[in-house]
Amino acid sequence: MSKSLLVISRQAPWSGPSAREALDIVLAGGAFDLPIGLLFLDDGVFQLAPHQDAKAVQQKDLGANLQALGLFGIDEVFACGHSLAARGLTHPVNAQPLNDEQISQLIDRYDQVITL
Amino acid sequence: MSTLHVVSHSPFTDSRLDSCLRVCGSDDAILLCGDGAYGLRHPALLTKGVKVFVLAEDSLARNLPLPDWADCVDYPGFVQLSIDYDKVNTWL
Amino acid sequence: MKFAIALFSAAHAPSSRRALLFAQAALAGGHEIVRLFFYQDGVYSASNTIVAPQDEQDIARQWREFVSAHQLDAVVCIAAALRRGVLDSEEAARYQRSAVNLEAPWELSGLGQLHDATQAADRLICFGGP
Repeated sequence: MSKSLLVISRQAPWSGPSAREALDIVLAGGAFDLPIGLLFLDDGVFQLAPHQDAKAVQQKDLGANLQALGLFGIDEVFACGHSLAARGLTHPVNAQPLNDEQISQLIDRYDQVITL
Repeated sequence: MSTLHVVSHSPFTDSRLDSCLRVCGSDDAILLCGDGAYGLRHPALLTKGVKVFVLAEDSLARNLPLPDWADCVDYPGFVQLSIDYDKVNTWL
Repeated sequence: MKFAIALFSAAHAPSSRRALLFAQAALAGGHEIVRLFFYQDGVYSASNTIVAPQDEQDIARQWREFVSAHQLDAVVCIAAALRRGVLDSEEAARYQRSAVNLEAPWELSGLGQLHDATQAADRLICFGGP
């Protein structure tokens, strides 16, 4: 049985390659059919904000990669409710909001965690 | 399942320790290292009541006295903690 | 106990030295390191063009010596390395760059190696930041 991995993504999308490189870990795990979860926490929830324009800063659209998560078999996608509320974001369509207690249980449920 | 959270950013300039404390489970512990050791001077750790360790070299380097609610570990101790807890979550 | 160790910071970051001392303590304690995986700015910790001042620790060199002495499996993520200009001779030739700053004992490979190590290990330990 494969070990499960939770990736906790804490970086905003346009602050360098960090958010993309977090997502790459997730997508690579999905490509190997591993049980991978993804949680957006702190500024990471800005990755879920609607109507962002990557072209304005000549970047590639991270949102397209987020859309592809399902194709890679990544169904466990969550967002920290506290982080969303603190940043004035409404509940995203593509991630399930969790409260602090639920996040604690989520971390508990996975074999390994990478927070970046 | 228990988690050892490792924090190396100062809680006075960075939100990692705050977030860590929000999602920290009752069986979890926090290892402070690097500038994270300044967490020994942060009241949040005391009020949460979570088990706290500090990497000895980092508290020594910063002349941070060890409060009675924290324990210090050397590198073999760090390795042992990573075994004693089911997983290690480093707040990179 | 089998450890997979992932490093996310450059050699000048205290966390790179911390990862090295953890790895040394793990081996000294009779444990096994199934793989070192250097990702994000961790690729700089494998660069062989770092020149540390004489009175300072040369962590990149210490990493190299440690990996060689223990014949560890040490992987640098190729995508992260290319983006940051950390190239072995093959990649330097492929992209026509004049500098080669990665050589054995390091090996460039993909993120699959991180997942592979995570599956093989009892513990994944990440180091990065300050």
